[in-house]
Amino acid sequence: MTGGPIALRVNGVERRASDVPASERLLDTLRWRFDLKGTKEGCRTGGCGACTVLVDGESTLSCLTLTHEVDGRAVATIEAGGESPTMERVRAAFVAEGALQCGYCTPGFVVALTGLLEERGRAASRDEMLEALAGNLCRCTGYAAIGRAVERLRAEAP
Amino acid sequence: MVEFDLVAPRSADEAFAALRAAAPDGAAVLAGGTDLLPDVDEGRQRPRVVVSLRHLPWRTLDWAGPSLTIGSTLPLRALEQDPDLVRRFPGLAEAIRDVGSVALRHRATLGGNVVRAAPTSDLVPVLLALDAEVEIVGPRGTRRLPVDRFVRASRRVDLGPEELVRAVWFPEARPSAYRWQRVRPANDISQVAVAAACSPADRRWRIAVGGVAPRPVRIPSAAEALGAGAPTAAAVARAARAAADAVAFPTDRRASADYRRHLVATLVERVVDAVVRAEGFPR
Amino acid sequence: MTPASETAGRPDARAKLHGAVRYGTDLESPGMLWGALVPAPRPSGAVRRLDLSAARALPGVVAIGPDDLDRLLPPAYRSAERPLFAAASIDYGFQPIAAVAAPTRAAARAAAEAVRATVDPAPVVADVESIFPDWPGPEAVGSPHVAAHVHAVRGDVDAAFRDADRVVRETYRTASVHQVALEPHACLARVDGDRWTVRTSTQSPFGTREDLATMLGLPESAIEVAGTWVGGGFGGKGAPLLEPYALLLARASGRPVRLALDYAEEFRLGRTTLPAVVRMETAVRDGTISGRRVRLLLDVGAALPGRDFATGYSIGFLLGPYRTPTFEVEGFGVRTHKPPFGPHRAPFAPQCAFVVESHLDHVAREVGLDPEAFRAAHLWREGEATPLGQPVGPFGLAAAFERARATARAWRAAAPPGHGVGVAGGFWSTGTGAGGELRLRLAPSEVVLEVGEREIGSGSVVAGLRAVAVRVLGLPADRIRVESLGTAEAPFDSGVFGSRTVAVLGRAIEAAAAELRSILAARLGAGGPVEFGIDGERIHVRADPAGGRIDRPLADLLTPDERGEGGVVVVGKHYGRGGTIDESLVRAGTFYGYTDFTGAAHVAEVAVDRATGAVRVVRYTAFQDVGTLVDPPAARAQVEGGIAMGLGTALTEEAIWSDDGRLLNPGLLDYRIPTFGEVPPIEVEFLEGFPGAGPFGAKGLGEPPIIPVPAAIALAVREACGAHATELPVTAERTARALKLL
Repeated sequence: MTGGPIALRVNGVERRASDVPASERLLDTLRWRFDLKGTKEGCRTGGCGACTVLVDGESTLSCLTLTHEVDGRAVATIEAGGESPTMERVRAAFVAEGALQCGYCTPGFVVALTGLLEERGRAASRDEMLEALAGNLCRCTGYAAIGRAVERLRAEAP
Repeated sequence: MVEFDLVAPRSADEAFAALRAAAPDGAAVLAGGTDLLPDVDEGRQRPRVVVSLRHLPWRTLDWAGPSLTIGSTLPLRALEQDPDLVRRFPGLAEAIRDVGSVALRHRATLGGNVVRAAPTSDLVPVLLALDAEVEIVGPRGTRRLPVDRFVRASRRVDLGPEELVRAVWFPEARPSAYRWQRVRPANDISQVAVAAACSPADRRWRIAVGGVAPRPVRIPSAAEALGAGAPTAAAVARAARAAADAVAFPTDRRASADYRRHLVATLVERVVDAVVRAEGFPR
Repeated sequence: MTPASETAGRPDARAKLHGAVRYGTDLESPGMLWGALVPAPRPSGAVRRLDLSAARALPGVVAIGPDDLDRLLPPAYRSAERPLFAAASIDYGFQPIAAVAAPTRAAARAAAEAVRATVDPAPVVADVESIFPDWPGPEAVGSPHVAAHVHAVRGDVDAAFRDADRVVRETYRTASVHQVALEPHACLARVDGDRWTVRTSTQSPFGTREDLATMLGLPESAIEVAGTWVGGGFGGKGAPLLEPYALLLARASGRPVRLALDYAEEFRLGRTTLPAVVRMETAVRDGTISGRRVRLLLDVGAALPGRDFATGYSIGFLLGPYRTPTFEVEGFGVRTHKPPFGPHRAPFAPQCAFVVESHLDHVAREVGLDPEAFRAAHLWREGEATPLGQPVGPFGLAAAFERARATARAWRAAAPPGHGVGVAGGFWSTGTGAGGELRLRLAPSEVVLEVGEREIGSGSVVAGLRAVAVRVLGLPADRIRVESLGTAEAPFDSGVFGSRTVAVLGRAIEAAAAELRSILAARLGAGGPVEFGIDGERIHVRADPAGGRIDRPLADLLTPDERGEGGVVVVGKHYGRGGTIDESLVRAGTFYGYTDFTGAAHVAEVAVDRATGAVRVVRYTAFQDVGTLVDPPAARAQVEGGIAMGLGTALTEEAIWSDDGRLLNPGLLDYRIPTFGEVPPIEVEFLEGFPGAGPFGAKGLGEPPIIPVPAAIALAVREACGAHATELPVTAERTARALKLL
């Protein structure tokens, strides 16, 4: 098929689109069809992590994902609200440590960390968290404050 | 932006039919998509049809005695998180963790990596050191080919237009290791990489080098120099020299040939040392 | 310290953490077309034939080239210094030769690919050394290859070198580095009648408007530039890049047009620091520098002749911050077929510091002196004159350098084998730009600061100005809000660059507050100082004249007009001045003085893999001269970010061009900015008490932290393994060569 309908559950809400081209990327579906522009377009080649979203809880580069490939699955983005308590925890740590500046990479960092914490539960170590962020580029913070947010998340774990 | 048709067959037979239908232009096969989609964007591939493997039941990990079969569409992230794989194939686990980022490895697959056969692949050298074989399915049945013969050149593999790689098979768990040099440690392409493994069965070594043209290669002379089991320091030095002399290294924007040659010798020493210290090394 | 701002945090944090702010790349509008630029197929030559017909035949496509400008623009556009589309002369690769717009992104790209151009090739100037393999002779001045020539001399340099105990000569090379703001350039333009409007991710709405007026031949009053949230600037978004093309396409199509770069274009078209060759010669007599010669060949890309600020400004950083009785300094800005040199966080200053620190360290070693003590002994002190004759103002560099040396001593005592410690200094001066203004609205329950700047990430606009207002007005941070407006409503300001926002607009806040106090003192009949306070939600105005305390809600003091406007509105202005140099020393070109003197001294500890040359930075401490600390968490964040960026300049970042002028690594995989794992633990210490040009003596802090980084790391590498780096970046391969491993 050259295109067709898709249905995604985005941040807990059913979203449908009727005529999505086969080549369309999840990044563009979220941003231009659903107006969820919190997911950022950076390099579009998988090199910066700004477009990271969760697909069924797994961090995924939405620029390298065909929308049809994830048809029917659950997607979480930076716009997720209270239905993602883990993301709320990550946000609180970022606020407390001032772990953002221009904010363009921030959604990718928050989503990637959320994905890891959901995958690993509270057992996630600092090294695992840093590994989970190795594909997310930040040019403003030098990662220092983000590292402090990671420490805070680790310290909060029981 | 290239437009294409996307089909997602539910069985291998449907997949072969889809591939056949796309002839003569040929189709591109989509596993994780992390290589294919950038290729499409940059015009290196212009497929009219893309055949997605997402519905095929190939996301498997099967142990049989010492051997392991990894389904070709299982994401790399699942492999690196399998505790048995990490313990019994340490070199493979190390190499997998060096591919891209976690988010990329949630989609990238072993099958996709070996079929793309990039000269800079971080996985092919380890597959060579582990004597891995690919299991190929097609309308005329199943065949099996050592990776060393399957990967023929840069981005060229021995795969018919209607064939697919269903799995990668490893004959035995081996103490193994993978070492590389990159300009930037994370999220970069290796300038040179070396994989090594020592078989518990015959105590013989396998050494393979990546980041060389036209494809990663085994270096039998280096393996030979190491002898059987734990090598002497002199044997390691001979192996390092053998590896440096055996390959024609390229000069490109990542490194000069001279530097690559120098690195290979150093990395051989380090990777052998790591294998000797791995669990289950045959003494 | 300003506790109120510390506890307040960044006002934009929550919105950014919910994906609720809109950047340039997020812009869209009903009926909008997607634009795309058509790149020159070669870096040099002449476009003999441009055929837009195939593109125009595609559905919904608008395509424009040089022949369309006469009908789209008033005649004044022809006096712009550079044509909008390359035609008779291509200046650099991928320079726009045409532009297209279409209903979708894919259609726009297809339309751009459908444009056919025939180019008569011309030789490519790929780098400065291919033009001047040795050193430019007198004939070079006035040559078409030279965009700028600067030359200054003080004293009898020849005599100093003749009478020296020792002369040390070295050549250094530095690489081109990109800003790599994660957000690519993007804008949305519309033209309604004679109103030309563009929303854009820019560091300077007013600067962009001024340049657009020149480029398009329009009066500034016809153009409105409104900003967006900016996903990182670092100097790369200070001048128009896409905006003229988006406006032209909007004019031609009658529709709103969105134009954004993809990341490969970002590397190919972005204006940034380009490569340089520096020759350093130092004469030493009795253990002291007696003379210096500095020669700079700076690649300025397709810079317009006479429009090259970079050569004259950066050459000062190659002389300083070290005392020298005599010197000769000469620099050439050399044109190549690259995009014009453009600002990148402290433009070229980190490279200069790398050269100066590495060279003087080397000189000391050559004459058998302690390299750090030698540099420390020559540092400028307050009150003496710079080599160019400007009196040095309050300057914390010597104090910072001493602190850095003490840290280095402690680290060396604990360093394992294979580790090395480096100490480097650097200096900077707070920018003024063309000055700035700000509108302060004191309302009954809040203070609004209306500015023509947009937040680019550092927090200087949304948090820094608020922190200044907290301190100036004595009101809590949660009562103070910064509102960014477009050029149609905002008071003039030059923009967010040159570390100037808090310094310049902070002084404007002081001026506005003084006027506000005098207005309100008169209304209170107090005649003395007026203070502000809070009672519940309401802002109060208080005074303590001899007759007893007065305390009134602001609301009671407003005139009817002010009630209508929502409060008392005053405009604060600050137009600072740079310093003055001794012009009698200048033989050619323009040299620049400094507004103030900002120092930084850094300590790096590295581990070097002696077998491969690979460098890992183990720990890092920065001593920053800030004048007065205004917003401590933001200040720390600036320093940490600057160090990480400098680490990339030091070790991994390098735009690589082929001999035929092609950029070989236009992507984030091969142009390597630091990732999380490469950045070491960073400690930051601030030195106060050396006041600068900003409010309360604050100094700009956006740029200074990056300056000493490559030098500190390179010197640490030298100590760790003996490899003396004379080239940036200090890659493992270069270090391996210096160690003679290859």
